[in-house]
Amino acid sequence: MASSVPSVRVTGPFATLLRYNRRYWRSYAAGFALAAIFSVLNLAMPLLMGAMVDRFIAYELTRSMLLGYVGLLIGVGIISGIARYFERTLIIGASRKFEYDLRNDYFRAIQAQSREFFTKSPTGEVMARASNDINYVRELIGPGIMGTVDMLRLPLAFGTMLYFSSYLTLVALVPLPVVSILVYAFVTYIHRQSQIVQDQFGVVTTRVQENLAGSRVVQAYGVGDVEVRAFRVESEKYMREGLKLSVAMSFAWPVIGMMIGVVILLIIWQGGDMVLDGAQVSRPVWNETGFGIARETFTLGSFTAFMSCLLLLAWPLAEFGWVMTLYQRGVVSMKRIIEYLNREPAIRDSAETDYGKSAIHGAVRFDGVGLSYDGRVALSDISFDVEQGQTVAIVGPTGSGKSSIVSLLTREYEPTNGSIHIDGHDIRRFPLQTLRSGIAYVPQDTFLFSDTIRANLTFGRPGASQEEIEYAADAAQLTETIDRLANGYDTLLGERGVNLSGGQKQRLAIARAVVLDGAILILDDALSSVDTHTEEQILSRLKNVMQHRTSVIISHRVSTVRHADLILVLEGGRIIERGAHDALLLLDGHYAEMYERQLLEDELETTA
Amino acid sequence: MSDAYHIEDEAQQRAYDARLMRRLMGYVRPYARWFALAVVLLFVASIAGNFVPLIMMQAIDENVNNPDRLALSAEIAAAPQPDPAKVLALDAMKREDRRGLMRLMLLIGGLMLAEAVVRYAQMVIVAWIGQRTMFEMRMRIFEHLQRMSLRFLDKNPVGRLMTRVTNDVEKVQASIVSGVEQTISDLFTIIVVVGFMVYTDWRIAGIVLSTIPFVFITGLVFRNYARKSYLEVRRKVAQLNAFMQENISGIRVVQIFRQEERRLDEFKILNAGHRDEWFKQIRNFAVYFPMIDFLGTAALALVILYHGWEVIGLQAQGRGEVQIGLFFAYLQWAERLYGPIRALTDRYNVLLEAMAASERIFTLLDTPEDIADKPNAIQPKTLQGEIVFEDVRFGYDPESPVLKDINLSIAPGERVAIVGHTGAGKTTFINLLSRFYDIQRGSIRVDGLDVREYDKTELRKRIGIVLQDVFLFSGSIADNISLGSPEVTAETIRRCAEHVNAAPFIETLPGTYGYDVGERGCNLSTGQRQLLAFARALAHDPQILVLDEATSSVDTATEALIQDAIIKLMEGRTSIVIAHRLSTVQHADRIVVMHHGEIREVGTHQELLAVRGLYYTLYQLQYKDQTEAA
Repeated sequence: MASSVPSVRVTGPFATLLRYNRRYWRSYAAGFALAAIFSVLNLAMPLLMGAMVDRFIAYELTRSMLLGYVGLLIGVGIISGIARYFERTLIIGASRKFEYDLRNDYFRAIQAQSREFFTKSPTGEVMARASNDINYVRELIGPGIMGTVDMLRLPLAFGTMLYFSSYLTLVALVPLPVVSILVYAFVTYIHRQSQIVQDQFGVVTTRVQENLAGSRVVQAYGVGDVEVRAFRVESEKYMREGLKLSVAMSFAWPVIGMMIGVVILLIIWQGGDMVLDGAQVSRPVWNETGFGIARETFTLGSFTAFMSCLLLLAWPLAEFGWVMTLYQRGVVSMKRIIEYLNREPAIRDSAETDYGKSAIHGAVRFDGVGLSYDGRVALSDISFDVEQGQTVAIVGPTGSGKSSIVSLLTREYEPTNGSIHIDGHDIRRFPLQTLRSGIAYVPQDTFLFSDTIRANLTFGRPGASQEEIEYAADAAQLTETIDRLANGYDTLLGERGVNLSGGQKQRLAIARAVVLDGAILILDDALSSVDTHTEEQILSRLKNVMQHRTSVIISHRVSTVRHADLILVLEGGRIIERGAHDALLLLDGHYAEMYERQLLEDELETTA
Repeated sequence: MSDAYHIEDEAQQRAYDARLMRRLMGYVRPYARWFALAVVLLFVASIAGNFVPLIMMQAIDENVNNPDRLALSAEIAAAPQPDPAKVLALDAMKREDRRGLMRLMLLIGGLMLAEAVVRYAQMVIVAWIGQRTMFEMRMRIFEHLQRMSLRFLDKNPVGRLMTRVTNDVEKVQASIVSGVEQTISDLFTIIVVVGFMVYTDWRIAGIVLSTIPFVFITGLVFRNYARKSYLEVRRKVAQLNAFMQENISGIRVVQIFRQEERRLDEFKILNAGHRDEWFKQIRNFAVYFPMIDFLGTAALALVILYHGWEVIGLQAQGRGEVQIGLFFAYLQWAERLYGPIRALTDRYNVLLEAMAASERIFTLLDTPEDIADKPNAIQPKTLQGEIVFEDVRFGYDPESPVLKDINLSIAPGERVAIVGHTGAGKTTFINLLSRFYDIQRGSIRVDGLDVREYDKTELRKRIGIVLQDVFLFSGSIADNISLGSPEVTAETIRRCAEHVNAAPFIETLPGTYGYDVGERGCNLSTGQRQLLAFARALAHDPQILVLDEATSSVDTATEALIQDAIIKLMEGRTSIVIAHRLSTVQHADRIVVMHHGEIREVGTHQELLAVRGLYYTLYQLQYKDQTEAA
């Protein structure tokens, strides 16, 4: 279960639960055994009471016997308490261990998913399964099993009641069908109404969310009062539905309480009559002649024992509905988790993978590559060839497919047609580990972890030396920035630390890639927040780094790409021009026009 | 979701706050009479319910186990010859006892029914008060949010504010109204039960009550441990969630840098911390529950010992019957007593959480409107549309102004195009006219009156704004045009849609004007959304039109429709347009060129081109390509 590449497993929620919990079977078995002990001890009280009362009536009880009985009662109480302690720590403890395993596997399964999964599944959904659903499943295993085990008491108590009087047991059972029908009806109604309330809560939430997200429109049109009116309608509905639910629950508790009361009442009445009459009851006995049925008087002691048993029953019965809810909810949640656990990552190592390949050198060839997803063509007929150590630049308008080329190279997507070769081999032959370890990547949207600067710099290579870190920081023109921070490289980033500017973040991402020291360096529009001057400095420093590396540079600035060995001009997912800077200018096409615009923009920028 | 990761621990640590409680109770005050009624009903129910064990006791000890009858029966059994008169008397006594038993059972049934009915009524009242007060609180927060400025709304993430209206109110509801009521209920029940116990037999009551301090101390000690663990668990949960959230946000970096294994290892450490903290909490509970159960058993054992000791003493003198009913009565009372005591100690945590939630709510409600109307602000019915900017200086951060010394007069009905490079201050310029922000210096006048003199909502109603990024609400096309405003009739909606070329596409949609645009209008194309926004602006018939043209490219046919619509929209209105289209600049009466927060050039298209200044450069950059298309 702990492989990083999950194998195909189509299993139901129960099978999965079993598989996860099998290793804790000892805890569960011990817990069950303790629960059994507890259930048996539980019967001690009614039986002791019954015996005591009968001796009382017969004037047989002495003070020392009384002390003995009371001592027994307290002893049983202590042993029950200890049993209960271990039962709880064992079962609930195991459920927490199970939760730990499940959450780790969930995390692993999510991490293994490819890009397309993350674009299609909202983060909220993935998070909800990690928190709410795992919690519900845990409740099924922990409190759910505890509750079920508690119900062990039911048959034992029933048996004892039957022993004392089958007639009274029958009487006690008379309201039971009514109670179960009532409970069922309530649970069904409450379940349905809860759903309605939850849905309406969703409506209310969405209204608030839209109102806030669209606050500019709301304010610009002065329709705040209209919004308030609309919100009032939904909010009122939410209140009404919530009230319905509360009323149903207010009804359920007193009624269920009353039903239990009615049972007790019937037993006192009928049992009282039996004691009054000195009624005879049949009881199984074990004597010299063997097992048989004897007629015995239903004494006040019998009555006491019976009543005490009945009171013991009330709680597990009331718990039944709760346990059912835990099961229902837990199973639904388990299914939702399994859906992700069993999900095959779209891109992973396969039969074609050659694990003998442990490094890449950086020669890249795209051969008639096309990419489409969601029925949209992102790239078509992309072909180019880069030798190890060369620089290829990709330019073009937003949405022309520049980043898609990079995503193919990192194998976040698979080409729809054509093929990609690295060092002369199909990209799919490289293990993902090898391929990606050879790529130093600077993404378009800088993402840094809320950790120290050092941890972020060494993210790709945790073992990097201080020297290497400083070299990378220097190449990305970061040294000055870091030196100015009080804690230097150990400064914490993010909400709880320092907030860097967009340009500083980009430079940190570049330094991170430099530390990684891959055969292919990818800069995906990675200098957009850096001013032209700094950009030039960084590029000239990177030149040293890039000497033996293949570089792929995406940019919308001509200044960034002009020194590349090969410039690809993209439009609508196709390469429309290709060549080196000077050749492209001579062509007087799109690239030349872009260059001209760049000059104009620079001119505007410099106008004070 | 995201709000879950910022747990306000400091607020959590705080104890009960009387000031907050008073303020919360302010919401309940209008229902004070109902609340009082609920409390009375509670009292009634409590007394009725606790009467039951007393009557049961009577039934068992006086009827089932009638000592006189038992004595007589023993006497008959002891006599060598049964005395017929005595046997008859015994039969009569049995009949009498049986009748008595039935009477008492009917009485109990009646009492239980009464308790159930009264309790139901009381619970419904409390639920109703709870729902009402929370509804009002929700409305108050929502209304308050409508008055907040964009500056405030930009600073506070939507998720956080949303939580105030929804989850925080839920938390308050869960514990304040029902919490207060249940606390009263628990205290009541304790008093009533103790009353019954003492009334029945004060010595036995003393024995049962002697265990209460232990129950209480156990509860307090447990609460102390449990609370520490609880806070620690919450912290760990927040860490787990934050880590996972960050990992999903940065999944590309994790995967491309091949750090999945290391991230998993780090996650496992956090996960184990979470699990181990729970182990502590499990132990807390595993000690607490059996402890309380044991104290209950001990109390009963003591009662048995005391009562039994006494009875055996009496039996030695020849007479003494065990009162088994008494025992059952105390058994039931003890149960009714322990429940509330446990609940009282448990409720404290929930109460603290609700306190923290209410504190967050009140902090929001106490945030003043930073752009407030003056008292007796002018409510314009209509405007001429004259606009004057005089020495306007503004910066989102006052230290770094985005607009510097802006002077501009726009005549009623004039069409002004604002052009400039990115970051020139164009958007800020139009934000100020509708008073989304207050300026730091100078004045902005509409029809000769400073915008700060107007009622801002009424002023904004006369200014139609179309933004670059068209925001659509989930709902129908018609709702998105009228924005729910009752003044905009179905006829107006249709006419406006037709006027701005939106009608043709709307009529091809299933359900036409009733078509649901989906969340954020995701079912419509960019061009369609633009046209819809134009219809929206037109439907509200503003005297001043402010338009931020979208730069995103649309197909040629739609582009032509949009160009045509913009020109129609500007007709007869004072219009300020941040122009990206050549056709728009060409149709403008004046073009204002902004650069680095200043107005640099003003004139018509031809005039400005002739100057060969900034506009000329901009024209080449942004509009030249459109020449052929236009």
